[in-house]
Amino acid sequence: MQFHKQLQKDLSIPAITAGFVAVLISYSGPLAIFFQAAQSAEISSAMMTSWVWAISIGAAISGIFLSLWLKVPVVTAWSAPGTALLVTLFPGLTLNEAVGAYLTAAVIIFLIGVTGTFDRIIRMIPPGIASAMMAGILFQFGVGVFVSLESVPALAIGMIIAYLLFKRLTPRYSLVLLLIAGITLAVLLEGASLEGVALQLAEPQLIRPEWSWNATLSLAIPLVLVSLTGQFLPGMAILRASGYSTPARPIVIVASATSFFTAFFGGITTVIAAITAAICTSKEAHEDPAKRYVAGVANGVFYLFGAIFAGTIVALFTSLPGEFVAVLAGLALLGAISSNISAFAAEKSHLEASVITFIATASGISFLGLGSAFWGVVVGALAYNLLHRRFNSLNHKT
Amino acid sequence: MKHIEKGVSLRHAPRDFLRDLNADNASTGLVAGILGLGVGVVHISAGTSAGLDPSFIMIWVISYLMINGLFGLFMPAYYRLPLPMANSIPGALMFAAVIPVIGLEAALGASFIAGAITLVAGVTGIMGIVMRLIPMPIVMGMVGGMLLSFGLNMVKPLESAIVPASIMILAFFISSRLFRKIPPLIISMVAGLVYLTVTGVDLSGIDATIRFPEFIMPAFTLEAFLTYGLPLAIILIGMETPAGVGLIKGMGYKDAPANAITAVGGLGTMVSSFFNLHSTCIAAPMTGVCASPEAGAPDKRWVAAVIAGAIFVIAAPFYGYVVSLLEATPRYFIAIIAGLALMRVITSSMAIAFSGRKHEIGALFAFLIAASGIQILGIGATFWALVLGVVVSAIVETKDFDVIFTRGSADLSP
Repeated sequence: MQFHKQLQKDLSIPAITAGFVAVLISYSGPLAIFFQAAQSAEISSAMMTSWVWAISIGAAISGIFLSLWLKVPVVTAWSAPGTALLVTLFPGLTLNEAVGAYLTAAVIIFLIGVTGTFDRIIRMIPPGIASAMMAGILFQFGVGVFVSLESVPALAIGMIIAYLLFKRLTPRYSLVLLLIAGITLAVLLEGASLEGVALQLAEPQLIRPEWSWNATLSLAIPLVLVSLTGQFLPGMAILRASGYSTPARPIVIVASATSFFTAFFGGITTVIAAITAAICTSKEAHEDPAKRYVAGVANGVFYLFGAIFAGTIVALFTSLPGEFVAVLAGLALLGAISSNISAFAAEKSHLEASVITFIATASGISFLGLGSAFWGVVVGALAYNLLHRRFNSLNHKT
Repeated sequence: MKHIEKGVSLRHAPRDFLRDLNADNASTGLVAGILGLGVGVVHISAGTSAGLDPSFIMIWVISYLMINGLFGLFMPAYYRLPLPMANSIPGALMFAAVIPVIGLEAALGASFIAGAITLVAGVTGIMGIVMRLIPMPIVMGMVGGMLLSFGLNMVKPLESAIVPASIMILAFFISSRLFRKIPPLIISMVAGLVYLTVTGVDLSGIDATIRFPEFIMPAFTLEAFLTYGLPLAIILIGMETPAGVGLIKGMGYKDAPANAITAVGGLGTMVSSFFNLHSTCIAAPMTGVCASPEAGAPDKRWVAAVIAGAIFVIAAPFYGYVVSLLEATPRYFIAIIAGLALMRVITSSMAIAFSGRKHEIGALFAFLIAASGIQILGIGATFWALVLGVVVSAIVETKDFDVIFTRGSADLSP
């Protein structure tokens, strides 16, 4: 098969590592919020495993399919701001109602994708603003590296030195070497124990959906909003900022269609990833942008493993110290932070609006339940129109 | 003294002050002055948490304003550059913390020696050389990261006080677009004050007291020097001065007198130690405000710094009154004004740091470290930002340095 040969030719270790690190970061960071939601829903660990299975399989199928089809590193994941919503809704909401709301949300996102409304909105955002928003989202991860210098100095310094040396000596393999060095350091310095990790297959559990007005208003509609603004918007912005001009439409359609099926097993909406995507679309994944799609495929494949061994994966990632993940994520994202800041700093025509976007996004404010990525774009677009747009109608009159 | 840069002159300073005074530099000077007065609250909270006597804390803050303010009148007037003077905040936190341990006189003695070391660094010209060796993108990365917190604090009130915050921010941007004649900062401040009066701010608890700095004789101990004097010297030389000098260079004042700024800071710190005060140095955030494009024509921005110094000196005896006034205005008010005043400085620091394609990783490290606000071994983030920024850049971007060195030596040879 020609398809197969092409993939074999483009395969590279940095791209596979990037995919792996992206999965690692998703499992160790955003998954924690999902756990919190599971706790407030008071579900069994078997049900939790089913949830993790569902979100992993959703990310795996949609990610592999989209990356291979579009030849672009499309990294999908579950809606992280959506899981944050869940934490506050359980246990008032029943599990069946939640699944009903997931289905409703999937249908709405599907419709927004099919009509192409989302693409029109994306295209209106000036390039500097998009990069600035991205840099703002990633900023906290970069700062996290140095905040860890205070709490776990030995581990952080060791990993920073490893990162710099590998970057200097073998830039292509710096991420995988950093990962190995980091795990070694975590075990040696922080006493991380990998003993409780054993292989076990996950068993998905079917949940009967139940539709209610309450769940639609309190979960489905907000879920659509935060998924579009908190995931699809920055996710598409990353692809744009990395030079991929893929339309949002196929991605939104495939992600929402996948969500529809995984919902029955407790999987929250599948979306395009924002933070982890930056690793797979950046230079760290491959020098040649045309070959970075392999990172997207690899990301999906590792999610597939994650789905099959959901229980094991969960045990593995909870055994590594939180600081290790913070430092690894920050260092893995440094390249993306640098390229996004450089990208908006170079757009001199609307630099001030970009910096305002950056600051508003980095501030982490949340208002009306919507996160700072959304408000960053809103404030940035406002500043762009106020400061940089020529008021043509006014000029004509005077 | 051959390394100390020559300034313009003090002789015609008052006349030139009146000639160069305009709405832009007057308003930014006012903002810088208010920003500096607000810093006194940091002293008060640090001193209170260290268990110091309230009466001493008040004397400390009053000396801060009076002595720093006098140096702050002299520096900009002599060099005709926006060089406001204040003190080191990390230094203040250390000072408050060590007084209960080593005693006030010994702490002041250590300050005296730290000042002397700083003076030597300026007089011998070491500072100028160091500043020339650190690549500009790394310095500006550090400056941008340091000032970023002012930007973040400007945006954060949008969460808790959306109405006044958006009124003030919108007033600034709309007026900067519509009428350049009136400084947008003033319009934003007026908009905020109007909102506060309409919603009814409580100014009743304000009482007036008048006090002046008091003389004290420092004492010298080795212990005090090691625990507090040496770190303070590192802070003054490695952190405060590079931040101020880097900022002023980044804003287009290429001939910033690095050695003189250091030496005067050292001398000021020595004087300070006789008046219950821990340091005098260039104030980076205030420099940012006074040297920003908001302050109007570049050759007239020095007026803003003089005004800030004058505000310090005049407000000093009445600081008890100022404190109750500051406590009566909501915290977001000063945060927003300071953030707006520094907006364009943050913008140009980031542009210089990240659009040159040189020292990108070093600049990024400096930016993130400075923004993280970490403190290691009692020394603040901006020092580590410079040190690690240069080290990282030397490891990963060695090539970028060669250009700097050859260009640097070419500049020095004739």
